[in-house]
Amino acid sequence: MRRGRILFSLFLIAVAAYAVYSAWGWTFKARLFPLSVSIPLIVLAATQLLLDLFGKAETANGPSVELEFGADVAPDVARRRASGIFAWIVGFILIVLLLGFPLAVPLFIFFFLKLQSRVSWWQSATLTAGAWGFFYGLFQWLLHLPFEDGWIQSWLGM
Amino acid sequence: MFDALIEGLFLVLQWKAFGLMMVGMGLGFVVGLLPGIGGAATLALMLPFIFKMSPVEAFAFLLGMHSVAATTGDITSILFGVPGEGLSAATVVDGHPMAKRGEAGRALGAALMSSLVGALIGAVTLALSIPIVRPLVLTFGSPELFMLSVVGIACITSLSGLGARGQIRGFAMGLLGLLLSTIGQERQSGSLRFDMGMMYLWDGLDLVPVLVGIFAIPEIVDLAVRGTAIAGDRQPENLQAGVMEGIKDTFRHFWLVFRCSAVGVFVGIMPGAGGGVAQWMAYAHAVQSAKDVQDRERFGKGDIRGVLGPGAANNSKEGGDLIPTIAFGVPGSGAMAILLGAFMIMGLLPGPEMLTKHLAVTYSMVWTLVIANVITVVLSLAVLNQLAKVTYIRGGLIIPFVLLLVFVGSYTANGQIADLIVTFFFGLLGYFMVLLGWPRPPLVLGFVLGRLIETYLFISVSRYGFAWLTHPIVVVLILLTAFVIAYPFIQEYRERSRRPVHA
Repeated sequence: MRRGRILFSLFLIAVAAYAVYSAWGWTFKARLFPLSVSIPLIVLAATQLLLDLFGKAETANGPSVELEFGADVAPDVARRRASGIFAWIVGFILIVLLLGFPLAVPLFIFFFLKLQSRVSWWQSATLTAGAWGFFYGLFQWLLHLPFEDGWIQSWLGM
Repeated sequence: MFDALIEGLFLVLQWKAFGLMMVGMGLGFVVGLLPGIGGAATLALMLPFIFKMSPVEAFAFLLGMHSVAATTGDITSILFGVPGEGLSAATVVDGHPMAKRGEAGRALGAALMSSLVGALIGAVTLALSIPIVRPLVLTFGSPELFMLSVVGIACITSLSGLGARGQIRGFAMGLLGLLLSTIGQERQSGSLRFDMGMMYLWDGLDLVPVLVGIFAIPEIVDLAVRGTAIAGDRQPENLQAGVMEGIKDTFRHFWLVFRCSAVGVFVGIMPGAGGGVAQWMAYAHAVQSAKDVQDRERFGKGDIRGVLGPGAANNSKEGGDLIPTIAFGVPGSGAMAILLGAFMIMGLLPGPEMLTKHLAVTYSMVWTLVIANVITVVLSLAVLNQLAKVTYIRGGLIIPFVLLLVFVGSYTANGQIADLIVTFFFGLLGYFMVLLGWPRPPLVLGFVLGRLIETYLFISVSRYGFAWLTHPIVVVLILLTAFVIAYPFIQEYRERSRRPVHA
């Protein structure tokens, strides 16, 4: 956790430093606000970094007004499951890129239910049909929202 | 004036106006549940349909839709941790932990009832303030509005953690939010900032993918990691009893609900601040009214007061929003700017005429807010039992549908695939923030307010130099900011000095 916090502070310092570096050459109007925000951000992130590196362990138990992840699962299992769900999300974005939303939605729902949630074929197919019906009925039929074609359709000239 | 009030009621109750209001409410209900399709965007989509309506019918239709979207947005926030509306993000912070604890019914009951009370307070304030509001709004120029935004951010950051380190992280996240808001074209000079050569970033980051990513994705990851239903492995609660408990909570904490409604009305009146800000400020107020440090620590973990405050402010700000829109033609938010378009389509001129010649139309808007909210709450209470059951369905069955809602919702913001990547990036950022104890609310508020703050700061400096810092209201707001920042330390110090010393 400590290493994670150090890395996060370093990430913030890098983002703010990039902002200062980029804004330096802009006109006064354009750079006034980004500079007045990013310089204090560097100071605060650096202070946090120093506290994490050399300070005493924190007495207060984290943020008071925030979500806290459940602690019932072993850390390595939690890490594996979190990586798994992020992989599914990346996969979904990739099939949207390749095939477009109208095809990606039923594919993603079906394979998620079948492979990840281990639901029966029949239930997976029914739920997928329901989700696709909702998607098509609301977004395409009722709201006429334009969805971009996937790369594959564009390559094939469909 | 009383005649106009009664006439306004009868105008709304005419079958055609009432029917159109119901149609608008139906649309608003669905829109509120879906992340991404905001109430403002739907208002814009519906504008072409009002050409053939009378002014009363048009406003019944549009306001009915808009006020319902604000209420139902809270439902997905509580059940799934996905803000159904940009305005409902603050409800996630305490509402969703309640659902995880098996108290979805109670949280929903509280959100709906506080929304109703807030809406009624907003409508009454609108009705009463129409003749007297002018001097209040005119005393707030750019310097005062700038400081008001700073107070908002200070409120949120001061709640973000206990002790000095919590404050550091809170302020750092507020600053990061402000920095993110500077991405895109700068409004004064037109120069591009941090666009990284991508045309997508010219207009800046859109609020919807940022909000949905940062709040919803960590919740989905948490659900996947726990491998249970949203409400865990608990036995289903007695929903009817839970909902009733939530309704009772609204009246148990009525004074808080009333104060948060007042916050909502006030923020609504201030041009440009918008509903999201009202919710966060009300949330901050709810947390700050905690009795002591222990009491404060309950927030964020499913405290009913964290649901009541934002719920009330979310709807009371509708009344507040309408005040400057009707009285001066100065819209209080994006949605009101679109509503101003409706005024033009109807051939009405906001300003003195709305308070004299068209007073009955103005009061019909007040009645629309009241009637639409009452009907929504009654109808929602009737279906809540079914809605809350969703929290007992196995997580594996819920996740793909919530992901679908998240990504389609984000995509509809701009209709670009890049929205999905932004959602993912902010989801990842939100996940690490939660994991490492960096608070998300200050980042969101900084991002929401960033553009406004920059504009107000620029106008203040250009117009007054540094003399704006000596404006009386600005001085009061600076002192208030200092107090807000110092308050958690004072509370902690008092707590420590009260605690008995052990050897």
